[in-house]
Amino acid sequence: MRLLLLLWSLAPLAWQLYSSLVTPDALVDPASVAAGGFWTLENYRQVLQASPPFWRYLLNSTMVGATTTTLTLILAVPCAYALQQRQGPLRRAVTLALLAAAIFPTVLLFLALLQLARSLGLGNHLLALSLPYSALCLPLAVLLLRVAFAELPGDLEDAARLEGLSLVARLRHVLLPLLAPALGSTAILVFLYSWNEYPIALTWISRPELLTLSPAIARIAGSSLFTVPYGAFAAVTVLGSLPLLLLVLLFQRSIVSGLTQGAVR
Amino acid sequence: MNVPTLPMDDAGLVIQGLERRIGKRCLLEDLHLSVKAGECLALLGPSGCGKTTTLRMLAGLDPVSGGRILLDGNDITAQPAGQRRVAMVFQSYALYPHLNVFDNLALGLRMRGVPVAERDNRIAATLELLQLSDLQLRRPAQLSGGQRQRVALARALLRQPQLVLLDEPMSNLDAQLREELRPQLRRLLCGGRPPVIYVTHDQQEAMGMADRIAILRGGRLQQVGTARELYETPCNLFVAGFLGRPAINLLTPLASRQLALRPEHLRPVAEAGLPARVQRREWLGAQQLLWLETERGELRMLLPAQQELPESLQVGWESADELWFSSVNGERLASSERD
Repeated sequence: MRLLLLLWSLAPLAWQLYSSLVTPDALVDPASVAAGGFWTLENYRQVLQASPPFWRYLLNSTMVGATTTTLTLILAVPCAYALQQRQGPLRRAVTLALLAAAIFPTVLLFLALLQLARSLGLGNHLLALSLPYSALCLPLAVLLLRVAFAELPGDLEDAARLEGLSLVARLRHVLLPLLAPALGSTAILVFLYSWNEYPIALTWISRPELLTLSPAIARIAGSSLFTVPYGAFAAVTVLGSLPLLLLVLLFQRSIVSGLTQGAVR
Repeated sequence: MNVPTLPMDDAGLVIQGLERRIGKRCLLEDLHLSVKAGECLALLGPSGCGKTTTLRMLAGLDPVSGGRILLDGNDITAQPAGQRRVAMVFQSYALYPHLNVFDNLALGLRMRGVPVAERDNRIAATLELLQLSDLQLRRPAQLSGGQRQRVALARALLRQPQLVLLDEPMSNLDAQLREELRPQLRRLLCGGRPPVIYVTHDQQEAMGMADRIAILRGGRLQQVGTARELYETPCNLFVAGFLGRPAINLLTPLASRQLALRPEHLRPVAEAGLPARVQRREWLGAQQLLWLETERGELRMLLPAQQELPESLQVGWESADELWFSSVNGERLASSERD
């Protein structure tokens, strides 16, 4: 049963990897598979030597993702802390408002955002994408971090207060190190959102060398009128998911170590 | 209730009319207390009586709704927690889980700008005092309960406090360890200069640790005094019933007056006593506890373990051991009011 589930979720990925490593003929013609010699890196060569080369999109997406994540966390941490400190009905109201904002379908916003970008002159600025991205991620990030703050034992901050630590020192030396797992998982979610985002990236950016990954992949898929370049498409998909895999593997270690740190008592 | 006065040299803690209200709810009402330098006062009471609230207000962690706190002659009521030289040991110990023992102790000193050499010396001396030197590179999760408590104490002592607050510091330890640690804790904390306030719901601990005990109930101070004073002359029925195990006997009230008798003050008599039947017998080691049925209600009598008794007997007591209370308001009646 477990094996079946594993197959169910991994098979598409494996097929993608396979598609990226074989000649286009081998995908459609079993005869050429039987003939052998169908393994090739041609698809990768093709996307990496295109103009602009594919690593350019990777770099763009990474930069946007990094600034989005940083901006979101810088804003979300103080918001979440302040929200957690406040007691009573206001906290409930703000939490509900954030929840509403977090589940609002962002696709409905992209036309308005486009207008905004036009009037503010933000079109075709790569890092300007971070502004709507972090704004859209902020509600969820604040909610996640507030819960994380709430789960920290209150005595810890009180002890630090009694020792004369200022608010910034308490956050820097006591609270945030303990929140590392929550910060890590929130960062991954925000980064993923930014990495996958399509409509805003498509409408705000038109210059090819500034495209982020998702519009770039879409462009490759639709680059030819008469054939679908399965091989190249598969190759960019593989290349596009590698950084994410790396990121998750990296953070996973810190998350697990954070969880095993042990409780106070 | 005794009215507190400032000690001659101003040293120590004076609490004047301290109050804490949330909305209409009153968590602490008009508390007056004074604790001299070097004195250990236990705040004792059932949960929700306001003892932890009091402690947190003294530390500056909870806002004060009314009254004043004077520490060594200075009004600290409005001072923020970080500026008061008050150390607190939390029930959970509140050690920073991501830092090792040394860094747990060093963080506060570093943030207050204590020079590195002085800091290291003071930490080394404190680690030595509390026998923690070998553990300084361990994280809190790698320490036993007793070791964690010592680290929390070390952190409190390093604050060079003018007032030490302990919030149920033993409640996470098993009973045997608690008994072992009591003298150690007393030696380290009490008798030094700063006054110590020790919050507990365990009367044994309060009696063993403190010079004086203050009993709180529902946010109101009931009585302050030495353990002996509270035990022998409780001011009301609550204090009489709260202190002492097995609990005091309350005889069926007569004419709005209630007689209370400690179980150890009852004894079998040959004649002219209260007729009683033995219902149950508990053997407590050195003593035995007898549950008696009488016409004045069920009574508990504490006797030496060896003493043999018949099924039905007569119990008596010295009139000097009688404690009389008003059954209207529970206050103790002076001897002149008894008749």
